[in-house]
Amino acid sequence: MSESVLDATPFDTEQLQQYAIHAGLYGVAILFVVPYIYMVSLSVQPTEYAISSVPHLIPPAVTLSHYSDLLTDSLIVQWVINTFVVATVATILVLLVDSMIAFSLTRLRWPGQSILLSIIVASFMVPFYVNLVPLFTLVADLGLVSDLLGVILPAVANPLGVFLLYQFFRDIPEEYDEAARIDGFSTFQIYSRIILPISKPILSALAIFVFVFNWNQFIWPVVVLQEQATFTLPLGLVVLRDTFTFQPGLTMASGVIAGLPLFVLFLLLQDRIIQAVQFQGTTG
Amino acid sequence: MSSKELSAMVPSIDALNRRETIDGVLFALPYLLFFCLFLLYPLLEGLYMSLFEWNPLVPANSTFVGLSNYTRMVQDPAFWNALMNTIYFVVLTVPLMVIVSLALALGVNRDVLGRRYLRTVYFSPYILTVSIVGIVWALFLTTEFGPMNYLLGFVMEQPPNWLGDPLLAMPVLALVTNWWLLGFNFVILLAARQNVPERLYEAARLDGAGTWRSFRDITLPQMRNAIAFVVIIQFIQQFQVFGQPYVMTDGGPNNTTTTLVFYLYDAAFSQQQFGYAAAVGYLLFGILVAVSYVNFRYIGGDNT
Repeated sequence: MSESVLDATPFDTEQLQQYAIHAGLYGVAILFVVPYIYMVSLSVQPTEYAISSVPHLIPPAVTLSHYSDLLTDSLIVQWVINTFVVATVATILVLLVDSMIAFSLTRLRWPGQSILLSIIVASFMVPFYVNLVPLFTLVADLGLVSDLLGVILPAVANPLGVFLLYQFFRDIPEEYDEAARIDGFSTFQIYSRIILPISKPILSALAIFVFVFNWNQFIWPVVVLQEQATFTLPLGLVVLRDTFTFQPGLTMASGVIAGLPLFVLFLLLQDRIIQAVQFQGTTG
Repeated sequence: MSSKELSAMVPSIDALNRRETIDGVLFALPYLLFFCLFLLYPLLEGLYMSLFEWNPLVPANSTFVGLSNYTRMVQDPAFWNALMNTIYFVVLTVPLMVIVSLALALGVNRDVLGRRYLRTVYFSPYILTVSIVGIVWALFLTTEFGPMNYLLGFVMEQPPNWLGDPLLAMPVLALVTNWWLLGFNFVILLAARQNVPERLYEAARLDGAGTWRSFRDITLPQMRNAIAFVVIIQFIQQFQVFGQPYVMTDGGPNNTTTTLVFYLYDAAFSQQQFGYAAAVGYLLFGILVAVSYVNFRYIGGDNT
């Protein structure tokens, strides 16, 4: 590397190419980061700067009043709690029922299981929107309109996790089960003490994925949650934006509050999260 | 010990099989309940509803109308507008997204400084909810106090009204969507590129192949399955676009960003036409199945 730098002439094409690639990649990266800076910056600017005709990317003065206003005058704390409940309960339910059926489909033999698997896989093709109207009438019949369960329960039917876990469980060698059975393990013990512990990587990947998906869910909560007190953050932000049109700082502060938990989660677990996405790509 | 006693102690094969079947069904049951109730049942119910002029308050009072919801749809100019808008959005979004994420993946795969940070930055918008994405970008592009038009104000007389201009609104939504979702494709393509054996490139270099030939003859064919995957996924995803127009343009200006799902949502929940909206959903489903089939046929990997 150092040798090639010494040898470099002004017309060294390889060197030029290297510069161009860096310029391109970092140029795109800056474009990617600017909206973040803008959001955080507006959220701490006094309103007179935020709506002045000269925008400031670097705040000329800093205030936390938008944040304190949000905490006292809006339902945002309630929305944070609602969002957290939706994402957490959905994640726990998905991990539980998906791992159980994947176990059943890969480790136990019973008639009809292959047909069942093909039906579940085929249901991948069903876009959520086909079910929007009939699912709403169903949830309304169950009395779950404006109820967080109305958001959570349909999310558990998503077949993605079943498919991911099915593929992972299938590749766990049969010898583990056989050895455990000889040691007198019951079926439930094989599931809970053998298969689940081995599958920690895929289970945590799925957990992150389901959590993020449900934290961010948009159209379905828009349909089901009709009272502001039951909103999740994605819906609440739109209401705040439409209410405080000329206080962009307030809207941006709500965006920071809604985005920050996942952003921190992402920075802490980014290798896991990216692996989870790549895993989908390689098995999908 | 007689064989009779032995068989009394050791459970018969039949009993074992029965036991395994019971366990199998019990383990499958919890998910199946969710699956049948919240996925399979609505799917059938939707088809049924699409044949009725559905009465949301008293479903028993719905009128059977046969296929007339479907014929009404194909006669509704607003439906065709939504369909064309959706196709336009997909055409603007998907090729750009695949090309840019491929270029970024190939770039980051090279010997560049701070690859890890670049990967983090490119991927990060993907974890945001659509309402954050829409709100931030709409403010960024607003004519009154947005930084974009402030900067453009130095070089042009009248900077465009990005989301208020019927010609510009949809391209802007497509670009914002690229910013938001590009990272998903980027990390998949990066993984695929890293799985291409380096010795192929070394061999090509020894044969005197340049960058372009290596790209065309090694990179593209080797990454074929991953590229097909992201194209198909993005096609399906972007065809269902809803959040961006809902948050950023409310379908306007002049319905130029009313997409199919937006149209469906509007028919169902603004106009309470459940039967008609269910029919729109089924048609959308049909289009997706057809498009996916064509995609698998023509660009899917050789293992399909």
